[in-house]
Order: sequence, then structure tokens, then C-alpha cells
Amino acid sequence: MSDLLEPPGREETQPVPTYYDRPLLKAPAWEWSVVTYLFLGGLMGGLGLIQLLADSSVESERRLKRSARISAFILAAANPAILTSHLGRPERFLHMLRIVKIKSPMSLGVWGLVLYSGAAGANVVRELAVSGVLPRWLRFLAPGFLAPLQAFLGAFIAGYTGVLLSATANPLWSSGKRHIPAAFVCSGLTSACALSTLLSTLEGNHRVTRRLERLEMVAGASELAILAHFEKHAGRYGTPLFTGARGERFRRYTIRIGIIAPMALNLLGSILPLPKPVDAVRGTVASVLTLVGGYILRESMIEAGKASARNPHAAFVQPQ
Amino acid sequence: MATGFFTDTSLCIGCKACEVACKQWNELPSDGFTFTGDSYDNTSELSGTTWRHVAFVEQMSADDAGLHDRWLMSSDVCKHCTNAGCLEACPTGAIIRNEFDSVFIQPDVCNGCGYCVVSCPFGVVDLIEKFDPQGTRYNLASLVEGRREEHQTALQGNGGVAGKCTLCYDRQKLGFVPACAKACPTESIQFGDVDLLRERARKRVETLTARGMNAQLYGADDVGGGVGPLNAFFLLTDRPEAYNLPAQPVLPSTRQPAAYSAAALAALGLAIAGWMIFRHE
Repeated sequence: MSDLLEPPGREETQPVPTYYDRPLLKAPAWEWSVVTYLFLGGLMGGLGLIQLLADSSVESERRLKRSARISAFILAAANPAILTSHLGRPERFLHMLRIVKIKSPMSLGVWGLVLYSGAAGANVVRELAVSGVLPRWLRFLAPGFLAPLQAFLGAFIAGYTGVLLSATANPLWSSGKRHIPAAFVCSGLTSACALSTLLSTLEGNHRVTRRLERLEMVAGASELAILAHFEKHAGRYGTPLFTGARGERFRRYTIRIGIIAPMALNLLGSILPLPKPVDAVRGTVASVLTLVGGYILRESMIEAGKASARNPHAAFVQPQ
Repeated sequence: MATGFFTDTSLCIGCKACEVACKQWNELPSDGFTFTGDSYDNTSELSGTTWRHVAFVEQMSADDAGLHDRWLMSSDVCKHCTNAGCLEACPTGAIIRNEFDSVFIQPDVCNGCGYCVVSCPFGVVDLIEKFDPQGTRYNLASLVEGRREEHQTALQGNGGVAGKCTLCYDRQKLGFVPACAKACPTESIQFGDVDLLRERARKRVETLTARGMNAQLYGADDVGGGVGPLNAFFLLTDRPEAYNLPAQPVLPSTRQPAAYSAAALAALGLAIAGWMIFRHE
């Protein structure tokens, strides 16, 4: 309570009055569906980059490309359904496609999702046509530029899920206007690398996992640095996320279990010549931990945002 | 013509006639009976179904001259911002600026995504979770023979959408004064042309200052942070925080350039890293 009464971000000579400690702002009514939506948005965004990076002239990477494209398309088909389920009036989902609004991240994001689904769908048709499941002539549906387009839209979707939070009046979220979008992009890519590693391990396509793990380590290290800087930068606006029971949960599941542990496991895998079955278990454990950490990152951010909205002091002087 | 409210809190007597008139005219359900213990305020806040909220600020202090006490009352309402966070955030175009320059939510277009709720720097707009049939018991309109069923249907139709003050769009179209301003017995709530109201408000501040009172306007001029002036502005006799108003509100969309560029920078960096890792000699 004493913490609640301290105004964040400015020195006061006399205590700032509150109105019976009542919240000034409204907390979001967002539950698990929005958390899942943000998580899967990052995941499908990262898969967009992986399907572009994989080189189709190398057999192992051609298989990676296919699994990334198919999983991305499944997520792109599922995510609008999850987004719709959180609406107060789900039957009015299509009202979001009445207009394009540059100033509304929610509007741009929905359009990004629609376009991404289109590109991902066409690229899956190409994969199925190349592998002979569909007639080969259907390849014309996916001209070459759709691969970089899917990567670009993927980056947009992963980033927009962060902009969606940081471009609100919520004190915690808006104090991380640069950190949250950047961290969500990094987390989206680590999750996508983890999912691709899992799928490749299942397929027995072990040759690509080393590269995926290396990329995951780079993205994980960046995410770690961004979140550490966010904690310093946010100051008192950051208390709902970084202190107390929620802070402990965030540090344990997102930072230690979700980023540091998989990084350590991946590092271990790249320096120690482990026997193949052991290495597959190591890679699988690392991937599962990364995915769990990515989900809890979004969950912590939403829940901490609710707590932030309840603190009137944080809302009196709002972050620029 | 831009119309709006000038809420002169120095005249408010805390009768809550504005709250009642608003509920009745707009057929808004009751929010239930809660006893907060916060002075005479059992309404607590503006919500999807509460569009006027009277705050009761009790202040007591003691010094050598004795005990000083003050009881401030203020009727809060949607600010109808020049640059409205809710309007910019709305992905369906349900929130519009109407011909009276008010920010209006079209209830038949809104799909209840809730993004306006987190985008209002004043914490005004909220989702109407669902219709509460109990709420109609105290609504005069619903007691009129034959109105009950129709009334319930109307509100049920509005469940799951965002709600806030419409500045009585329907009454304004008929040439009526909004219900709260009409019901206010002390002219604490004044309705009219915003420019004229601002002029009147400045004169009122001069008068009160001359009498030795601490009076300041909130929102008659630009409140900063990109929000601009408010079409519903206030005369306050204490700092804004005492009334649960932000001293420095910020328009959320002003953060978008920084947010998008940070995301783009991260994506570009990772794409380059990925290209280097996946490159074949």
C-alpha cells in the first residue's frame, strides 16, 4: 500500500492527493484469449522469417521451409478465431474490415493478419504442389515474392502485438513504448525457432536444428537485454511487472526458465558433442521451455497492465 | 457548431440529479447497491452504464488558526477530447465525431474489442459487460405500461459493446439540452457552444479569484500530451488529482512512431542475424 501511495516518476514536495485511492484508468478486460492471441501472433511472425531464411536448394532446409510454412498457416487460420472469441459481440468481427485506420494498431493488425493469412496460404499451396500432394501447376499461385512478403508481414504482426499494448493509456505499457514492441519481436522469433526445432526433431530433420538454435540464442540474448533495460527505464511505472509476486513469477518463468535456461541448453548443445538421442531430448526441452516463457511473457504483461491501471498515481502524470 | 459542457464544480451541491437524469433518459441499468464508505459517493466511477459521476472530496486540515474543512463536489463526465484516444483506437469505426463535435459510439457498429477502454487517458469509456434485468426496476421508463419488454430488448441489444456519455446526441438532434444539464439545479453543469462556455468559464475564474478563492480551469485550453482542449471542461478549486483527473494526460497514439520504429529495428537486426546464420558458403 505504501508503494501505491508513491507517485512514479516525479519528486513531490507534498503528497499528491488521490480520490480514495480509486483507479483513474480502466483496466483491460482481456483474459487468456488475448494472451494466446499475442503469443501466437509472435510465433507466426517469427515463422514468417524462418520460411524465408531456409534455402530450398538444400534438402534439410527445404523440409524446414515446408514445416515452417505449414505451421505458420495453421496458426494464421487459428488466430483470428481466438481474436474473435474475446470480442463482446463476436458476430461483428467483420466490422473490423469495414475500414483501414492507420492510427489504430488494432485495425492495422487485423489487416496484417488477413494479408499474412493470404500469403501463408499461397505459400502452403506451393509447398503441397511441389511435393506432389496438389497438382504441380498450382505453383503459379505463389510467385517468389510471397516468401519475403510473408516474412515482412510476419515481422509486422509480431511487432504490432507490442505496439498494441504500448500505444495505450496504460502507464506500465506506455512506459515501455520502445521496449515492449522490440521484446515481443525477439520473443516471437525465439518461439518460432523453438517450434521449428521441435517439428524438425519430430521429423528426424536434425541437420537444421543447430542453425535454428543459434538464431534462437541471438534473439533470446536481445530479448534479455531489452527486458533488463525496460526494468531500469520504467522506474516506478514498472513496479506491477517487476516487483512482488508477479515480478517473481515473471523473473522465474519468463527470464530464467524461458530465456536463460534454453540459451544455456542450446549453448551446451553447440559446444558438447552429445549423442544424437540425448541431443534430441536436450533440444526438445529447450524448445518447450522457450515456448512456455514466451506465453508467460504476454500473460505477465497483460496482468501487470491491469495492476498498473489500478494505481491512480501512475495515471496522474502519464508516460510520454 | 461544437457543443459541450462547462462543469463548474464550485456550484455543485452533490445532489446527483445529473446521475439520475442521465440514467433515466439513456435507459441505463442500475449498477447495483454498493456501500463504498467513500463519503457520499457510492457510484465510484464512470462506467459503460454510468455516464455522470458525482465525486465527493472531503478535506480536513488543522493549523494554529483551527480546523479547516472543505467538501468539494464535482460531476465527472466524458471529456469529448479534441484528439480522442478512444476514437483513434477504434478498429471498426464505431466511434465517430458527430455534427456537434462530440465523440459518439455507434452501439450497432461496436464489436466490443475493448481497445478504446485502454486508450482513454481519462479512464472514461468501459465495456457494458451484459444487460442486468434487475437494473430496470428503478428506471421510470421501464415502469411505463408496455415499455418494459421493449426496453429490455433494447439494452440486451447493447450488451457486449463499449459505452460512455453521448452528450445526449439524441436530445441535441431534437434541440434539447442534455439531460444532466437540464436536471442540474445550480447550473453547475452548463451546456452550450464550447467557445461561449470557455468565455464564461474564464470570467467565472476571474470572479472567484477576486473573491480570494483558488479556482482553475481544466481542459478549457489544451491539456497537453497531444489531447488538446476538451469539449467538456471543468472549473476546479483544487489540483486535478484530488478529483481523480490526470494532471498530465497523454494521447496514446503519440507513442506509435517510437513503438513501430523500435519493432522495425528489432526485426531488421534479427533478420540480418538470421541471414548470417543461415548463409551457405
